Amino acid sequence: MQAVKSRILRPAHVIDLQALSELKFVKAEKGLLTVGAMTRYVDIVSSDSIPLELIALKDAASRVGDRQVRNRGTLGGSLCWNYSAACTPAAVLALDGAMNLISPDGSTRQVAADDFFLGPLETARKEFEILLSVDFKLTDSKSGSAYKKWGLVTDALPVIGIAACLHFSNMDCCDYARITLTGLSGAQRCLGAEASLVSTSANTEQITEAMMIACSEISTYTDSIATEDYRYQLIKTIGLEVIETAKKRAFSLA
Amino acid sequence: MSQRKNDDWMGTPLPRKEDRRLLTGKGKYVSDIVIPGALHAVFVRSEYAHAKILSIDTSEAEELAGVERIYTGDQIKHLIKSMPQPIVQPALPAHYPTFWPLAVDKVTFHGEPVALVIARDKYVAEDAAELVFVDYEELEPVLDPEEALKPESAIIHEKDGTNEIFSMTFTGGDTEASQAKNAAEVEKIFQNAPIVVKDRFKTHRTGVTPMEPRAILCDWDDSDGLLAYITTQRPHIDRLALSDILDISAEKVQVIAPRDQGGGFGVKAPFYRENIIIAHAARDLKQPVRWVESRYESLMNVGQERDQINDMEIAADLEGNMLALRNFGLADNGVGTTGVYWGFVMPFLGAIELPNGYKWPKADIRLKVATTNKACLTPSRAFGHFPTRFAIERCIDMVAHKIGMEPSAFRRKNLVADLPYTSITNEYFDSGDFLKVWDTLMEKANLPDFRVQQKNALSEGKYIGIGFGCGVELSGVASELFVPMENQPGYGAATVRLDPRGKVQVFGGDAPGGQGHETTTAQVVASEFGISPEDVIITTGNTGSTPFGSGSVGARMGSYFISAVAEACRELKTKIAKFLAHDLQLEASVEHFEFKNGEVVYLGDDSQRSSFMSIVERIIMFPINMPEGETGGLDATTFFEAAKPMICFNADCCVVEVSLETGDFKILKWITAEDVGNVINPLIVNGQMHGAIVQGISNTVFEEFVYDEQGQQLTADFEHYKMANAADVPNIDLNYATTPCPHTPLGTRGIGEGRPSSVPGALTNAVCDALKPFEIEITTLPLRPDAIWQKIQDATQ
Amino acid sequence: MVAKVAININGRLFQEEVPERMLLVDFIRERAHLTGTHIGCTYEGVCGACTVHLDGEAVKSCMLLAAQADEHKVTTVEGLAPDGELTPLQEAFKSEHGLQCGFCTAGILMNMTDFLKRYPNPSEQEIREGLIGNLCRCTGYVHIINAVRKVVQENQSRKT
Repeated sequence: MQAVKSRILRPAHVIDLQALSELKFVKAEKGLLTVGAMTRYVDIVSSDSIPLELIALKDAASRVGDRQVRNRGTLGGSLCWNYSAACTPAAVLALDGAMNLISPDGSTRQVAADDFFLGPLETARKEFEILLSVDFKLTDSKSGSAYKKWGLVTDALPVIGIAACLHFSNMDCCDYARITLTGLSGAQRCLGAEASLVSTSANTEQITEAMMIACSEISTYTDSIATEDYRYQLIKTIGLEVIETAKKRAFSLA
Repeated sequence: MSQRKNDDWMGTPLPRKEDRRLLTGKGKYVSDIVIPGALHAVFVRSEYAHAKILSIDTSEAEELAGVERIYTGDQIKHLIKSMPQPIVQPALPAHYPTFWPLAVDKVTFHGEPVALVIARDKYVAEDAAELVFVDYEELEPVLDPEEALKPESAIIHEKDGTNEIFSMTFTGGDTEASQAKNAAEVEKIFQNAPIVVKDRFKTHRTGVTPMEPRAILCDWDDSDGLLAYITTQRPHIDRLALSDILDISAEKVQVIAPRDQGGGFGVKAPFYRENIIIAHAARDLKQPVRWVESRYESLMNVGQERDQINDMEIAADLEGNMLALRNFGLADNGVGTTGVYWGFVMPFLGAIELPNGYKWPKADIRLKVATTNKACLTPSRAFGHFPTRFAIERCIDMVAHKIGMEPSAFRRKNLVADLPYTSITNEYFDSGDFLKVWDTLMEKANLPDFRVQQKNALSEGKYIGIGFGCGVELSGVASELFVPMENQPGYGAATVRLDPRGKVQVFGGDAPGGQGHETTTAQVVASEFGISPEDVIITTGNTGSTPFGSGSVGARMGSYFISAVAEACRELKTKIAKFLAHDLQLEASVEHFEFKNGEVVYLGDDSQRSSFMSIVERIIMFPINMPEGETGGLDATTFFEAAKPMICFNADCCVVEVSLETGDFKILKWITAEDVGNVINPLIVNGQMHGAIVQGISNTVFEEFVYDEQGQQLTADFEHYKMANAADVPNIDLNYATTPCPHTPLGTRGIGEGRPSSVPGALTNAVCDALKPFEIEITTLPLRPDAIWQKIQDATQ
Repeated sequence: MVAKVAININGRLFQEEVPERMLLVDFIRERAHLTGTHIGCTYEGVCGACTVHLDGEAVKSCMLLAAQADEHKVTTVEGLAPDGELTPLQEAFKSEHGLQCGFCTAGILMNMTDFLKRYPNPSEQEIREGLIGNLCRCTGYVHIINAVRKVVQENQSRKT
C-alpha cells in the first residue's frame, strides 16, 4: 500500500483477495504445517496450530509494524513483496518454507524458499500466479527456531534481522542449520555460518565463530542509522542471541 | 466537577473542557472545516537542492479535467510583493533574502515550492502536479555551514554576496573596541586557568514536528475581503502580514486559528510562503482555496531546527569555580526564506541563553549563521537553545571530570543563588530559587546511593550511569526582547466580558495547540468571580473578535495572557463591588467583598449579599440609580506587561544502562525538579513536562533530518524520520519546587516552552557516566547506539 | 475509474460512487463527513491517527482503499459513544489528561478499545507495545498509559 500511495506502483487494476477465506488458515497435519497466503500476522500470532519448532514464524509475525498493521497485513503479502527489510521472508527462508503457487489455468507448482526469494522486491512468482499457501515440513528431531531484529525505534523495520532453524541429533550434535539475514538486501542465507555449525554442539564459541564467518561473506554499508561496522556487530550479537534461543528451544522439546 | 482546593479553582486538577469534543471526534481542525466549492491546492516542489529554473511546462497539467489554475514564480513575481516585509522582519541586522511564495529563477532547497496547482479535488491536483515539468540546470549545492562561509563557496542568495546571513557578538558591550577588550580579558583568564576544557559540540538537524501538518483555507469576498483559517500560533501577525504583502486593506483581512490545532511547538509560528499564495489564489479565482500539507511536505520544509556547531571552552579553578566561558557558535540556517524568524532568530536567542543558570564572571560568546541549500530552520520547542544547552551541559561535565568533582556538585556551586540576576549576555532572571530546585532534584536522585549501585553493577559487568542537566527558560517574552527580536509586543491581552446571566466570555488573540488554555483560563476566571469554570467560555485566535496577541509562543500563557485575564477580572470586580456597595448603601470597596459560591458577600455583615448573577444583570441590563460617574456594562480589556522579563527554572536527572556489546542504552529513571510558579491545573502542567521531556529524548536519540551529498532530503516520511513511540520512552518522576512569581498577579510562570533543552545534556551525561571506565566523552548528537559502540571500540582497542 | 461501495459506518450505511483509488480515510472524512479520524502522515502509514475499526478490529484507514471496506462494518471515534455517554476509556482519558491537542487521540482510542477487548489485563510494557502504531507528540505517552491502566484496574476490580 505504501508503494501504491507513493506512486511507485501504478496498478491498472487491483483485485482484492480478502474475501477468499479459503486462503486464510493455519493447519498442522501429517507432518506438515500449512499457512494460507491470506493469513494475517495477528492470526499467525494467535494460532495454536504452529508447533514450537517453527516458532520463528511467530517471532517474526508478532513484531511486524504495529498491531494495526498486524490486523491487516498477510503472510502472502509480505512474502510476495519481499521487501529488503522484511521479517517474515527471513523466517520462512530459515524454516525452509515451500510456496504453493497457482496459475490462471488452475495448475499449481511448489517453489522452495531458496528458489522463491530472488532479491529485494523480486520473487519467483510469475506475473499471473497467486500464492496460495506456504508449507513447512515438521521434523522428528530436536528442532528449534527463532527470529530477532534491531531497528532504531521499537519494532521498526529491521536494520538487521536474523532467523535461525537448528536440528540436533540424539547426540546433541547440530546436524542441520539454516541461518538467514534480512535488512541489507532482503532475505538471504548465511551459508558459511550454517556449514560451520553443522557437526558441532553449537556452543557459544562455535556460534560466535559462525557469525564471524557470516560477516566475512556479507557486505554492509553505512547510512544515517548505522555504520557499516555496526551492522556487522548487529549481525554478530543478534545472530548469537537468535541461535542460542533456537538451540534452547530445540532442547526444551526433548 | 472536580474537588476544589481551598474553595478555589487554583491548583485543581480539573479535567479539561476541551476533552469531550476531542474524545468524541468533534474537534474542528483547519482540515475539517468545509466551505462548499473549495478548490484544492497542491504544490509542485523542487527536486534539487540548488538549480536554475530554465522553464516550467504546465500545458499537460492544465489539460487535465478539473484543474482550475496553475501558478508559477514567473507570473506571481509581478503580482505579489516579495519578502522581506517589515511586519515579519526583526529589527536585527542581517542579510534578509529576497523571495516570493514560489521560486523565482532558481530553487535553493529540495522541496522548495515551485508551482501551485489548484484543482477540483486533491486527487486531481496530485495528478496534475505530476504533469508539471520543470527544466532545471543543476548548480553546486552548498551543504556544509563551514564550507558555506569560505570565500570560494558558491553564493546562494547572490545579491547578498555572502552566505553569512547573520553574525553577532553577545558579550563585551556594543562596540568592536569593547568586544575586543573583553575577548582579550577572557583570553587572559584561559591562559592562566588551572582547568580548561575545549571541545567541539555538534547538534544535528532535528525539531518538533506536530502531529497535525500545516493547512490553510481561504475564502474571498469582493466586499468583505479575505477570510483565512490557518494552522497558526499567531493569527494576528499572519493577518497583518497577509494584508501588507497582498495589499489588502487590513480591515478586510480576517484570520482565524481554529480552537482545535494539532500541536504547534513553534512550527506553526512563522509566516509561511504557502499561505501568501493560497490567499492570493482565493482572491484571484474568487473561490475558496484549501491547502492541506502532507507529512512529506512538512518534513521536507518545516520542523528543522537545532543544526549547530558550538566550539566551546570553559575555564575553571581547582575548587570548582567557573571562571570563564568562550563559545563560537555556527548555525546551519538552511535558505532562510521564512518570515518572522528567517531561521537565524533561533540561534540568536540560543546564544543569549547559552550561559544557562550559572554565574559566569566573564564570557566571550559569538555566533555566525550560515546559509545552505536546505530547508530554512523553523522554531522548535526549546527555541534556539537546544544545541547550546547540549554543549554547555556536556562541557560542564567534562570540566567536572577534569577537576575530579561530581558534576552535580560543580553545577550547584556555580548556580545563580541570588535573584534577580542579569546574565553575562544581559538576559534578566527575574525570580526563582535555583538552589531549591536543585536540592529537590538531588534529594530524589540520591546520588551517594547510586554510586554504590553503580560500583556493584560494574563488578557484575553492567554499566549504569547518572546524568544531570538544568535549564533557565523563558516565561513569556518581554517587549524589551520581543520588539528588537521580532518587531512584536510582548504584552498579554485579554477581554473579559460578563453577560446578564452571570456567564463570562473571555477573548484572547493567541492561538493554542493543545495546552489546555480554555480550561486554565476558565479556572482562573472562576476563582476570581467565585463561579464555576463551566460558566466561562473562551474564544481564541480570531482576529475579528480578540485583542492583539503576539501568539502562543515563548510560554506566554502562564506568564502574560493569564495575568491579563486576572487583571481584567479584578477590574470588573472593582466595578461590581462599587455597584453593590452603592445599592446596599455601604461604605465599601472591592476588598470588603468576597466573591464565592456564585455570590458576592459583604465581609462586614454577611447578610449583605447578592447573587453574582443578579448584580451582574443589574449592571448590564438596569443601569439606573448608579454610583456617581459610572456607566452600565461589564467588559474589560487589559494589557499586561510584567515589569521585567521573566524566567522559570528546571532540572533533570536520568539514569541509564548501556550495553557494551551494542552501544544500546535504556533509560531506567527520569527524575525532574521544576519551579513552575503557582500552578493553576496540575494535570496540564504535568502533561506539559512529560511531553517536553519525551520530545527532548526523541530529538536527542531518534530524530534526524538527513541531507545527502547532493542536498537531497532523505527523511521526509515517518519511516525514515523516526519518532519515539510509546515503547521507546520511560515514565517520568516529576517533582515541583515552586516559588510564586512576584511579577504576575497570580504568581504563575509561563512554562513548557524551553523544557526540552536540558534533556540532551542530561541524557548524554548519563551515558558518558556509565562509560566512565572507558573515559568516553560524547560531544556529537544524535546519541545513537552505533556511535556509542564505536566509541567503546576505539577506547578498548 | 469508479467503484460503487456500500460501507456501514457507525451503524449507518453509506452508498457512494467513489474513484477506485479513494482511500478509506478520505471516504470517512469526505463522503461520510466524519472528521474525527485524522491524517497525520503521507504514504507511510506510520502515525496511526487514522485508526478505525474494520469489523471490530483496529486498522489504519489510510492504508485501505474504500473499496476494501465495501460491505464491511467500520467504526470510527464518533461511533464509540453514540448516545453521548463516554466509554470508560474515554472517561479515563479525560480524568488522566491523556490528550492535549487531540490530533492523535481518536486513533489511540480506536486502537486501545480493540486492544483491551483482546487483552483485558495487559502489563504496562504490553500497553506501551500496543501503542507502537500511534505516534503522539504532545503527551510523551505517560498520561495515555495511565488512562489505559485505569480502565484495566477498573475492569479487574469489577471482577473481584
